[in-house]
Amino acid sequence: MSNVPAGGQAVSVEGLWKIFNEGASNEVTALSDVSLTIIAGEFISLIGPSGCGKSTLLRVIGDLTDASRGVVEVAGVSPHEARVQQLYGIAFQQAALFDWRTVVKNVELPLELLGWDKKRRAARALELLEMVQLADFANHRPWELSGGMQQRVAIARSLAVDPPLLLMDEPFGALDEMTRERMQNELLRIRLETGKTIVFVTHSIPEAVYLSDRVVVMSARPGRITGIVDINLGERNEDTRETDAFYSGVTEVREALRGRSAGGNHTRIGEV
Amino acid sequence: MTKRLSLSLIWPPVLIAALFLGAWQLLVIANDIQPYLLPAPSLIAENFTSDVSLMWAAAYYTGTTAFLGLVFGTIAALIMSLLAQRLIVVNRLITPLAAGLATVPIIALTPILNNMFNITSRTPRVLVTMIIVLFPMFVNVTRGLLQVQPVQLELMRSLNAKPRMTLRVLRIPNAIPFFFTGLKIAAPLAVIAALVAEYFGGPQEGLGSRIAGAAANTAYGRAWAYVVASIITGLIFYLIVVALEKWTTPWTGRSRST
Repeated sequence: MSNVPAGGQAVSVEGLWKIFNEGASNEVTALSDVSLTIIAGEFISLIGPSGCGKSTLLRVIGDLTDASRGVVEVAGVSPHEARVQQLYGIAFQQAALFDWRTVVKNVELPLELLGWDKKRRAARALELLEMVQLADFANHRPWELSGGMQQRVAIARSLAVDPPLLLMDEPFGALDEMTRERMQNELLRIRLETGKTIVFVTHSIPEAVYLSDRVVVMSARPGRITGIVDINLGERNEDTRETDAFYSGVTEVREALRGRSAGGNHTRIGEV
Repeated sequence: MTKRLSLSLIWPPVLIAALFLGAWQLLVIANDIQPYLLPAPSLIAENFTSDVSLMWAAAYYTGTTAFLGLVFGTIAALIMSLLAQRLIVVNRLITPLAAGLATVPIIALTPILNNMFNITSRTPRVLVTMIIVLFPMFVNVTRGLLQVQPVQLELMRSLNAKPRMTLRVLRIPNAIPFFFTGLKIAAPLAVIAALVAEYFGGPQEGLGSRIAGAAANTAYGRAWAYVVASIITGLIFYLIVVALEKWTTPWTGRSRST
């Protein structure tokens, strides 16, 4: 993606451990010695079976939970500092919209908490709703919208403060296949328009391959990174999902998930 | 469309009520049942219509007591709920206390409050009503403040929201439907409590006093006419709450998609 500004490190994770109930009998090692560097402007997917710690890794980056050991930096500062400075936006599997607010007021929420005045935040929210093509629904209630539309509102909200980093925890996980593919295209378009760094948790292999520059493959018990698959599909379009490069990407990720990635934990796919 | 809808909602209960009253009337006439056992609906209606101004005055008095008790009880419950959602210790302290208070019988409470406060005033009755209102309001509102979707709390955390902001932006709006659920229970209860509190002396102008007085004078038709006035008062309280809920929370009553 040539028009995405590449830059320094957006996120760096060094020797990260996350252990729940450490020292207790129900101790669980969610992440074991995870290291990962994400470059600014990159689209990274985290994929793996349930319990592989992919969501936990995302939550540590977002300072929604603490690291047990290791160093994590977001845009050169600690996750806590990044959260305080609003250096990332987040979208979850549930849209987590507030039913008592209209669509536009939901998008305004982060700006309202930052103390923006009414006019400015309404203008910004409308701009974002236009980006996700929901400007006509600004004054609807969230529950009047379909699941895909609700998720687009949530994405607009995550972009409200214009953060450089977008964290997405299975945002399309609850959508049907057709809506899902449409949302994937939408997300890639937004990414092109905004140049955000995106960390995307999913357990859909085609989704990870279609969206990402790199797919980080994780395995469970203990959660760790077992491989990183480079994807190079160029500009995505309607036909991308039917190309050989796409299929070999899917195969490569699937093999890595099965632990077959012979010795190498770094492979390159679809190199032109 | 709404007109047809509301009509279709209204006629079944009206029909049932008419059938019920008709059967009641027939039963009384056919078996020549004496008014002290069961007064006929016609007798009650007669008493009601001939004394409408008295009915209104009694309902107004008791309604005022119920309203004051409802307002003060709700305010007290809201303060308790806000404390309980902030401090788990307070929650653990207040909840059993409120539950205990709710189980104290009115018949035991009222004479004590009558002695503690001026029996000739409305105060002890308002206090009884407050205590009755407190529990359903406290339980429901506290639940509404605490039962927030975890993902919404995570969102607030990601937005670096302080607990006070989260309270204002998320917890309080979330609790509003719960508030109305509590109020729908508490409002008719308030009327009953205000009425029963009148059975233990003090001013005689309320519905409870009138029912007791009429019954003591073997004027059963009149006693029942006051009972009807009490039911109407309770229903008015309930309907006002329902209307308030419709007006203030347009987002409830929809089918949830998530």
